[in-house]
Amino acid sequence: MKKLLAILLAGVMVFGLMACSAPKEETPADEADTGTETTADTTETSSERVGDVNGDGKFIVGYISKNTTDTFHGPINARAIEVLDGLKADGTIDDWTGILDGQTDPGVQINLADDCVTKGCDAVIILPAEAEGSAPAVATLAENGIAVVVVNSKTNNTDELAVAYSGSDDVYAGTLLAQHVVDNVPDGGKYVHIQGVLGNSAQIQRGEGIEQIMKDHPEFEKVEEMTGNWNSSEAQNIAQDALSKYGKDLVAIICDNDDMSSGAQDVVNAAGRSDIVCVGVDGNNYPLSLVKDGKMLATVLQDGVGQIEAGIGVVKAIATGESYEKNIDVPFVLVTKDNVDQYYTGE
Amino acid sequence: MDKKGSKSIYTNKDELRLFMGKYGIGVILFVMLIALIITVPSFRTTSNFINILKQVSINGMIAYGMCVVIATGGIDLAVGAQCALVACLLGQFIMKMGMNVLLSCALAVLFCAALGFVNGFLVAKFNMFPFVVTLSTQLIIRGLAQVISSAQAISMTNAQFKLVYLGMVGPIPFPVVMLFVVTILMYMILHWMKLGRYILATGGNEKAAIASGVSVFWTKIAAYVISGFLSGVAGVILTSKTSSAQSNLAVGYETDAVAACVIGGTSFAGGVATTPGVLIGILIIGFIYNGMNLIGVNSYYQTIVKGIMIIAAVLLDLVMNRKNR
Amino acid sequence: MAQDDTIFKCDNITKTFGGTKALRGVRLDVKKGEVHALMGENGAGKSTLMNCVIGLIKADSGTMEFEGQPYSVRGPVEAMEKGIYMIHQELHPEPHLSIAESIFLHRENMRGIFLNKSAQNARTAEILKKFNFNYSPRTLMKELTLAQVQMVEIIKAVSSDARMIIMDEPTSSLDANETEHLFNTIKELQAKGVSVIYISHRMDEIFEIADRVSVFRDGQYIGTKLISEITKSELITMMVGRTVEAVFPKVDVPIGDEVFRVEGLSGKGFRDISFCVHAGEILGLSGLVGSGRSETARAIFGLDRPESGSMYLNGEKITNKNTRQAIRKGICMVNEDRKNYGLCLLRSIRENVSLPNLESRQKGLFIQQGREKREVKDVAEKLRVKAGSIEHTGFSLSGGNQQKVVLAKWIMASPKLMILDEPTRGVDVGAKSEIHTMMCEFAAKGMAILMISSEIEEIMGMSDRILIYHEGRINGEVSREEIVNGTMSQKEILAKEFGQ
Repeated sequence: MKKLLAILLAGVMVFGLMACSAPKEETPADEADTGTETTADTTETSSERVGDVNGDGKFIVGYISKNTTDTFHGPINARAIEVLDGLKADGTIDDWTGILDGQTDPGVQINLADDCVTKGCDAVIILPAEAEGSAPAVATLAENGIAVVVVNSKTNNTDELAVAYSGSDDVYAGTLLAQHVVDNVPDGGKYVHIQGVLGNSAQIQRGEGIEQIMKDHPEFEKVEEMTGNWNSSEAQNIAQDALSKYGKDLVAIICDNDDMSSGAQDVVNAAGRSDIVCVGVDGNNYPLSLVKDGKMLATVLQDGVGQIEAGIGVVKAIATGESYEKNIDVPFVLVTKDNVDQYYTGE
Repeated sequence: MDKKGSKSIYTNKDELRLFMGKYGIGVILFVMLIALIITVPSFRTTSNFINILKQVSINGMIAYGMCVVIATGGIDLAVGAQCALVACLLGQFIMKMGMNVLLSCALAVLFCAALGFVNGFLVAKFNMFPFVVTLSTQLIIRGLAQVISSAQAISMTNAQFKLVYLGMVGPIPFPVVMLFVVTILMYMILHWMKLGRYILATGGNEKAAIASGVSVFWTKIAAYVISGFLSGVAGVILTSKTSSAQSNLAVGYETDAVAACVIGGTSFAGGVATTPGVLIGILIIGFIYNGMNLIGVNSYYQTIVKGIMIIAAVLLDLVMNRKNR
Repeated sequence: MAQDDTIFKCDNITKTFGGTKALRGVRLDVKKGEVHALMGENGAGKSTLMNCVIGLIKADSGTMEFEGQPYSVRGPVEAMEKGIYMIHQELHPEPHLSIAESIFLHRENMRGIFLNKSAQNARTAEILKKFNFNYSPRTLMKELTLAQVQMVEIIKAVSSDARMIIMDEPTSSLDANETEHLFNTIKELQAKGVSVIYISHRMDEIFEIADRVSVFRDGQYIGTKLISEITKSELITMMVGRTVEAVFPKVDVPIGDEVFRVEGLSGKGFRDISFCVHAGEILGLSGLVGSGRSETARAIFGLDRPESGSMYLNGEKITNKNTRQAIRKGICMVNEDRKNYGLCLLRSIRENVSLPNLESRQKGLFIQQGREKREVKDVAEKLRVKAGSIEHTGFSLSGGNQQKVVLAKWIMASPKLMILDEPTRGVDVGAKSEIHTMMCEFAAKGMAILMISSEIEEIMGMSDRILIYHEGRINGEVSREEIVNGTMSQKEILAKEFGQ
């Protein structure tokens, strides 16, 4: 009985491995195919596969995600799978790695970069976990001649090492936030700024944008600046405290993302103070639904799906030898009740 | 899997069981290795093997420390936070104060060893549950890291320091050399030295160890100091790897370390641990990540496979070794 | 007793563990109201068979009958409901239960769906009083000594209205008083028609209490005899298949200089203890369980701190703050609580034996592995430890062999003073005799030995001198001459233990 169990166990493990490697069985076949094709190509035209940097005759794309868990990156990853599978199907690229999970950990992203090199990737899309910490991942890829496309946020070596960056200007997002408040509270007053995780480039740059606008509007007074760590429930606590502290003097709560602004809005609405303007950046599902239901005035949408589409566009251009833009700015959009239907899809 | 075949090979019913009990996990590593070599062309390059060793080096260091602590019947949840603290200390020492790189590393690692001492002292002196002690100190240490760094990332641009991760000894990356050295050291401590025997005896049966003249107090402290020291070393490598000193590094690293220990046959009840076993556990986890990335398996399944591996390893150990106990 | 009706019968029971046959077609029949002793060396299959009876393990084949009905149970609770209860040798009490809760475990006194605690406590108090057990029913099990826990188990069995009670070494941690109490209880049960299967290594008990005895050897049934028709030596012959010296192998060796002395030692459980031990001398400490013998030994060995008093080793004053210091000075101890203080069962024989001896077997930082292996192998062979190799774990060993490994580690330490607390408890006849022989050998080499035993025959058979403990104090001393000449009888020693 025990022995049986043991054999079963070993069997399961081996089977598991086989099953895991099953999709790979195509690859040797692919290899053989493309191998012969390439030889044919070289004999006929002596030209190589466009964009192939490691001379294996194939164009392989790597995709290093920031993570596979949070609400902002879910749709981005889903769109990437869709588009890259499509490119593979129509032969524009030979293969791609699938979603590699960066686990929001720069150490993991560096490991994944190494794996991409081993796998023979020619172009890699990376959504950095950290501006500092993920830089070595970009460096490793670039050192191996791989075309690195950085998406969503920059590492501190993106400008020098990456072939392209597709993202949105966070400073601009900050100005949108502040301008929205200025437009809706003409008389000015006291406002609270709830920040993202301190040190994140998004936090720093969005704050910068807010300041740019607010410095020209002396009628507004920033009474509180605290970190909510991108987190809705922390933002709720801060909003609650501010509400009791400043009472009716409080006119606005500006948040670095809209998970936090929707949390603040919930608190404000529950207190019957819907006159307070809460606003944040991202365009996640819940804040959008609040806007749609008229419970929140507006939110600033960061078009993550647009960013990844533009990033993959660069990869496609490399694979086909076309030219591409080095810095792609995917604009932020202020979403209000007027245009919310365009962006709000879910329930 | 032909059951009849295996029956006829092993005339003695117990032979397979004994063999699998002792080397089962190694056999699994071997099977994984062969399967990956056959099916994944890019896996079987020398550079990929070196790559894997480089990738596992950080978890490896932490896992060795963890296995020593688990062998005494405890657990050290503070390892990840200690890595982050080292990163923040290095940021201050090297980038802010401009101290000598070697000296900075030594100081940071020693500080971690001292934190290990505190963990061990709390566990040994007051008989507190190691889980509770290290769960709390982990929070304190992570908070300390945030205080030191003001939650800001410092770019570690020092060229000398970058060599910790990128440097080579001949064709071998420096972290791999470190892992090799630590493996040898751990083997010597656990299998050749008095301390190793004391650690295993303390975890196996504390009272019997006391009755044999073992100072359980110092043995436990030593285990946590080793764990602190090694997570410090891992922290240095990690900081150099990410070339960034920040307090949110190495979150959740204790899980992979515990997983490596358990896959490697370390008993959670204490008293059983081997260095080769833990090394195999470390490599299996490395193979899971690397192999599946190369195959192109969806990352969600990697997590599942890791979970299954742990349960399978524990089951294997249970089934195979029940009779020996 | 001349009952003819069989209450329990089993036939052709076999059980295989892995590759070893633990039971090879054994049979047994127990009559109503009889005390049926089960004898055999450790590993003969007695406990295995009893575990089959109460359903802890499942027999591979064979039939069982209880009160005329085919009998099979899936576990001890079901067996208890059918009327068979087993008191295990190794007790595992629930430390956080009260005596009442423990006694009524699995048959709780209920009122509706609620526990009727007061009724349960009242009922327990009644039962405890009947057994002269002066504790509150609310006392937690963890506050009781080993002997008291066992007494509670016995009380539980008796009160559970069992028609057949299996007792596995019930007296191994009871003192003479409690043993006598138990025997009286057994006789009362017998009168009520309850049958008792009595497993014991103690020959005298069997001859005192049992009606019939069945002997097992190596998983086989050897035979059943009426106690009145068999002698001790015949019984031993049945058990071991050869004739073994039933008497103690005490060898008189010249007594040398004083090795160890305590003066006015006091601590928890003992007061003002003074004695000395000489080279080659076996000093027996006799007394009731809890009279302070083991506590004295623990203090000498550094397990507990004495409150006052002084110790001298070879004339030099010493203090042992911990066991490490004691061992370094050449004092070692075999603890009565073998399960806790004996071996690290997960580790190999080699590691266990060398554990206290590593300091002197190091070269630089490293253990001298070759030397370690050689020395452990030598000492294991000398003690005739029965194991495949010294790399086997403690788990694979029988109780007797575990005890030999414990002894081995101290022999390797070559101590000046060896303290043996119940060295042969729960050890089979063969191993027991071997351990006694070894003790004589150590003494012959000039070691001083301090032996604690609850078995009066062992104390009298092995000691050069006996100190009798009573309630934490020494209440008398007996020399070997007095024992050999017969001027001091068992009865007199017992009397002193009881404080007379």
